[in-house]
Amino acid sequence: MFTSAMGLILADNKKISLGELSGPRALSAMPFAGRYRIIDFVLSNMVNSGIKNVGILTYNKYKSLMDHLGTGAPWSLDRKTDGLHILPPYVNSEATNIAGDEEMAGIIDFLRTSRTTYVIVANSNIVLNTTFDDMIKAHERNNADITVMFNRDGTKFGSPAYILELDDDGFVKDMLFNPQKSASNKSSLGIICIRRDLLIDLIAKQMAHATSHFGVHSFVKMFDELKVYGYEYSGIALRINSVKTYFDASMNLIDESIRNDLFWSGEPVYTKIKDEAPTLYFNNAQVSNVIVSEGCRIYGSVEESVLFRGVTISKNTTIKNCVIMQDAHISENCHLENVILDKNAIVRPGIRLVGHRDFPVVIGKGAGI
Amino acid sequence: MAKAETVAMILAGGQGSRLGVLTKKIAKPAVPFGSRYRIIDFPLSNCVNSGIERVGVLSQYQPLALNTYVGNGHPWDLDRNNCGAYILPPYQKSGKYDWYKGTANAIFQNMDFLDDFNPKYVLILSGDHIYKMNYAAMLKAHIENEADATLAVYEVPWEEASRFGILNTKDDDVITEFVEKPAKPESNLASMGVYIFNWQVLRKALIEDENDPESNNDFGKNIVPKLLNQGSKLFAYRFSGYWKDVGTIASLWETNMDILDKPEEINLVDRAWRIYSRNPVKPSHFIGPDAKVVNSAMTDGCRIYGSVSHSVLSDSVLVEKGAVVKDCVLLPGVVVKAGAHIERCIVDFGTVIGENVKAGANVDGEGPYTNHKICSDGIVVFERGLVIKKDSVIPGNSMVDSDLEVPSDQNVIESTFRV
Repeated sequence: MFTSAMGLILADNKKISLGELSGPRALSAMPFAGRYRIIDFVLSNMVNSGIKNVGILTYNKYKSLMDHLGTGAPWSLDRKTDGLHILPPYVNSEATNIAGDEEMAGIIDFLRTSRTTYVIVANSNIVLNTTFDDMIKAHERNNADITVMFNRDGTKFGSPAYILELDDDGFVKDMLFNPQKSASNKSSLGIICIRRDLLIDLIAKQMAHATSHFGVHSFVKMFDELKVYGYEYSGIALRINSVKTYFDASMNLIDESIRNDLFWSGEPVYTKIKDEAPTLYFNNAQVSNVIVSEGCRIYGSVEESVLFRGVTISKNTTIKNCVIMQDAHISENCHLENVILDKNAIVRPGIRLVGHRDFPVVIGKGAGI
Repeated sequence: MAKAETVAMILAGGQGSRLGVLTKKIAKPAVPFGSRYRIIDFPLSNCVNSGIERVGVLSQYQPLALNTYVGNGHPWDLDRNNCGAYILPPYQKSGKYDWYKGTANAIFQNMDFLDDFNPKYVLILSGDHIYKMNYAAMLKAHIENEADATLAVYEVPWEEASRFGILNTKDDDVITEFVEKPAKPESNLASMGVYIFNWQVLRKALIEDENDPESNNDFGKNIVPKLLNQGSKLFAYRFSGYWKDVGTIASLWETNMDILDKPEEINLVDRAWRIYSRNPVKPSHFIGPDAKVVNSAMTDGCRIYGSVSHSVLSDSVLVEKGAVVKDCVLLPGVVVKAGAHIERCIVDFGTVIGENVKAGANVDGEGPYTNHKICSDGIVVFERGLVIKKDSVIPGNSMVDSDLEVPSDQNVIESTFRV
């Protein structure tokens, strides 16, 4: 599909914290589903829509994100023209007047170098697999200024929730942030389509009003002046707003219909390549309902869990309802239940760790237990 | 800095006819191995890990899959500005053109490629062994010995020595004689098909060999004996790590099983000597609620709902509920339907094993697909892109080949598709 669009991804979100898990990394760099980072989904969605020019906006803690993205080769974004552009704060800016508006100026500069008609601007805390072709078509059909993607999750994923009220023609007539009680369950997915020249105008206007923070919903909020169309997405969308929703989203992957929607029915999801060895299951391994990445060695028993690359589960150890990240090592005679174990964590022999399904125990990156 | 003066040439043009239907559509080096790899990943990764970054891949037989796989060399970091991986097919030359007649002729025909780099040393490799080897250490020995050529050798059990090309040596591992498959071996040092030559020595020998109408243009049969006759200094370099030939169905199966039975020997998890490959773009694999998976290796995109034991699965294999997979090697995209029971089967790309099929070492007797020439030890090989009829029974030592003429009541192939 030939799409005249570029992409702009907001790699972090100041309104969302995953506690210890988001300590070392930007939200979009959160590991997910055994071998991905959350950003892989929105990035793949863009690439699979024919987008060849993507800017990634970062605030801080972007080291692990940059490690992950590299030159953009896994997404075929290592291109001579266009490609992947990481826009850290202060890049490419000559603005000097107000502290903070360098970010906005940098975005304008980036948008001006492109020649596409549209821009897809997306937050990166949502896992979904789609292309933006239909959304752009709906945008054109409705002569909209902005089209915002939503689904009917309401406020059930907690904050931040932007609830949309639409008129009979499908245009936004109100937007509520974390409402106590709302008349609508239409919740923004934080993805908009907008003409590139209009976006440049709007950012310039925001800068003139001394706004320094770039946010998807600051544009949706302009429903009084602009025609903002709501485009409903009916596929699976997993929102990651908190440790609990991250844990839920991970556990949801065990559901076949959710896995099929995310991985088997649409376009491929690309990610950084690691060249690990195959995963080995040994003699007494007992495994059921588990998502497993490459390079793992499994001697023990694992149930309803997600194992990332290079995880070792030793003998006589049982793992249940856990998310075990890259290169974590769990020794013999352990029992872990409802635990999120971050990268490189080590659990020494005989340890028992039990969290609650709604309050999983989180073990930070590189911790030794 | 000697390493930069070395160009590696991987002989990847052979058909590998002893692998039967597995090499009907692709060259042997492109055959998947060990769940995540192709055979050629081993020499390519060895080159990169040894610091050799100029690698010619000589392809001839069914080159499409191999050329696509190697591509620009990116997965092995061989997409560099001034070096990298180069696919070298035979090509037309003014006045005459030819297929590669033999291993030596293949190098001879690419003399221009080598002269352009004008290396000091040329490393000749074959694309049909599974091993991890530091060629830089071998090159160091070659330089220290002031050798004209160095041949890597592997000490094989004496009783098997007559199956190999054997090098007879005197003190300090100076080679005195090369004997192909000797009936009464004088030595147990088998040539591994890994050679380092001083390029100018090899260049001269290749030209002389080309002008000899009697020659088979083969490294083992012609070039090595010629150099010995001319009094060149040839040394043996002893290699003692894991090294397996995967040239036959039985050895391919056995070497795959080594990953499960002796994972420490080939040690694929060694991060200091990674084996790189072109990774499939697939999600993590999934082990379903009623699945049983023991003693097995698998990778991305697999979905397992049945029982898998002592098997090596490549990416995107689907094993349905109630299916039993034992001692098998399943290549990418294979589907094993519910109730099927397969043992010691090597199933090529995408083939669908129908419901309740029984195949492999668990079925005695002979059938229309029985092929003792290619298959042994009860192994059954399935061609790529087949749909096997449900309830079929296929005894061990069979090769299921869509080109085989089989009476329709005994034909187990429901349909074929392009993979």
